[in-house]
Amino acid sequence: MNYAVVLVPDFSLQALRRAEPALRGKAVALAHGDGRKACLTEVSREATAVAPGLAVTLAMARCPGLIIRTRDPQAETEAHRLLLAAAFTLSPRVESTADGCCTVDLQGANRRHTETRMRACVAELNDAGLGVRIGAGGTPLLATYAAQLAAPVLLVDDACSFLADLPVMLAEPTSVQAGVLRGWGISTMGQLTALTKSEIGQRLGTEGVRLWERAAGETTRVLRLVEPAKTFAAEWTYESPVESMEPLLFRLQRFAEHVALELRGAGFVAEKLSLTLLLEDESDYRRDFRLPEPGANVDGWMRVLHGHLENVKTEARVTGVRLIATPARPAEKQDGLFDTGLRDPVVFWENLARIGALVGDDRVGTPVLPDTWRRDAITLEKPAETVLAPADEPLHPPSGLTLRRFRPPWPAWISAVGDTPVDIDSEVAAGTIRAARGPFRFSGEWWKPGDVWAVEVWHLELPNGAVYQVARSVAGWVVEGVFD
Amino acid sequence: MSSSPTTVAALRSLLAARFPERTRRSAGFIATGVRPVDEALGGGLPAGRLTELVSAAPGTGGQTVLAQLLRTTRTARQRVALIDGADGFVPAEVPPDTLRHLVWVRARSAAEAFAATDILVRDGNYAVVLLDLRGLPERTLRKTSQTTWHRLRHATESGPVAVVVQSSFPLVPAVPWRLLLNAPIGLNARRRSRSALANELTIEIARGHTDVEEQSA
Repeated sequence: MNYAVVLVPDFSLQALRRAEPALRGKAVALAHGDGRKACLTEVSREATAVAPGLAVTLAMARCPGLIIRTRDPQAETEAHRLLLAAAFTLSPRVESTADGCCTVDLQGANRRHTETRMRACVAELNDAGLGVRIGAGGTPLLATYAAQLAAPVLLVDDACSFLADLPVMLAEPTSVQAGVLRGWGISTMGQLTALTKSEIGQRLGTEGVRLWERAAGETTRVLRLVEPAKTFAAEWTYESPVESMEPLLFRLQRFAEHVALELRGAGFVAEKLSLTLLLEDESDYRRDFRLPEPGANVDGWMRVLHGHLENVKTEARVTGVRLIATPARPAEKQDGLFDTGLRDPVVFWENLARIGALVGDDRVGTPVLPDTWRRDAITLEKPAETVLAPADEPLHPPSGLTLRRFRPPWPAWISAVGDTPVDIDSEVAAGTIRAARGPFRFSGEWWKPGDVWAVEVWHLELPNGAVYQVARSVAGWVVEGVFD
Repeated sequence: MSSSPTTVAALRSLLAARFPERTRRSAGFIATGVRPVDEALGGGLPAGRLTELVSAAPGTGGQTVLAQLLRTTRTARQRVALIDGADGFVPAEVPPDTLRHLVWVRARSAAEAFAATDILVRDGNYAVVLLDLRGLPERTLRKTSQTTWHRLRHATESGPVAVVVQSSFPLVPAVPWRLLLNAPIGLNARRRSRSALANELTIEIARGHTDVEEQSA
């Protein structure tokens, strides 16, 4: 078992139905050609009494209600990307063999693990709206035969017994060869390979030898490998502009499915998502979402995007949508035995992402004090998953009431006797100052021209007993906060 | 025909039997580390209940209660969410280790604060969710719909989280507990330890639920 083939039967039709969920469960056929020459190329299971090759007019007469559509290249491109991404979860050596078909080099892979991964891959693609079959065998050709017969996974260990009963038509004989074989009474590959290769060569020539080799599963070839995705992005242009959220969410769900698969195949997770809505007035709306818990979970991404789109109103209709995932290596960690962890980490991170989408990613998190004397300098970091044991009590525990800031600070007009403020007027505090404490002088970054700062801080008590913190800089006086 | 209840206790028992969900008792208490508050509430913030803490005037100690709550919950390793409606919290005012369990949401408006609270109350990973509405325009807060409060109360009562709403005036309709801080502490208190100051705060119970009464009855 050196190779696997991941095959999407009726690829063009499946890609179309994946892009247009309204077609699911209905009799649909793809047609090719114009006018009276138009004929069916692929037919859904729901369509009765019609088959590929039938003229469209005849098909419509035979199957009332049959929906006739043409191929959708955009949908096929996206579906094939999804297929490739899924193939890369099996092995890093993947060939894009044809539309809806990938060949994977599995040499050296563990059989049992590979089969498990294949079944997971089928399930994942089914969830993403793509029905696939996977076959594996010693050569790419054997794997292709196996994929055509798989339901949905078939691993071929004994090539001779597997090929013996396969119809010889699977080896794709020419019409002349097919006629000759019919005349000889040969209908299976086993019957053909029971004859010697040299005898077939004498009677059917070089092409006959190639047919024999194909029937024996001997034909092998070098795979033309494709590179795994380096950028994790997807874009869609709508045929007609959209005004509601549903088409956007549907398209984003599809994007998320294949971008997440591409990330997983490359051993990455997403740490940030960038959503761009292309608008009818040729402007665009862009928003970045930092994922508090980097991952490649489609449902989690969708909850973040949905939560944001619920509150978005654009100036014009949406003509296209683009989603870009910024990759990161997944974090590996082991929690301590006695650490207090989260009850439900998934909900925790998803809710933080939703709040980030609501208030801004830079406005939610655990506050950390940077190493600076600059006034009101704060950094917000990603909260810890575990609450570790507290440190020892500080040597000098906090004293006095706690400051609550006004952000932004209120301008104030302060009159002073000497250096001491005696009267204040502002939106939040006004009156005669009963007691004043200060000045406390702070300055910094004098070594950086243009960034140098200096303030003089006072604590002022008003007759109502409230204590305010005011500051004077070159811009004048402000009320910074109240001790509460 | 059943006889009518003759005492308040009997009426409460009858209501408890008929509407067990409405009269469900708190699942426990989360100590704030502020003795007057814990005593007023019968042990601390009731889990699964809404508590309103009204700072009737600036300098009455509302922010100090928050600082003490952070200290106490840090010791107990309980996660706390602070939805800061007017973005007034100052992390530098508490020891850095006291911030490790805190998720701080710096909202820009009442609408953002309510939306974030609605999400966090239902999260299940927090022991305390504190919604600080002080500093937001009174006119905006007065317009908060009854549905918003009802939804918040319902979400609180269906989970184990203790929810505190800090406001500058009585705001939450039909809140189980409303505590009033109305005595400013002046500049002379600056040298005293914060724990000692917190334990001397003047607390008035403006509205109290009847769990304690029910137990005694």
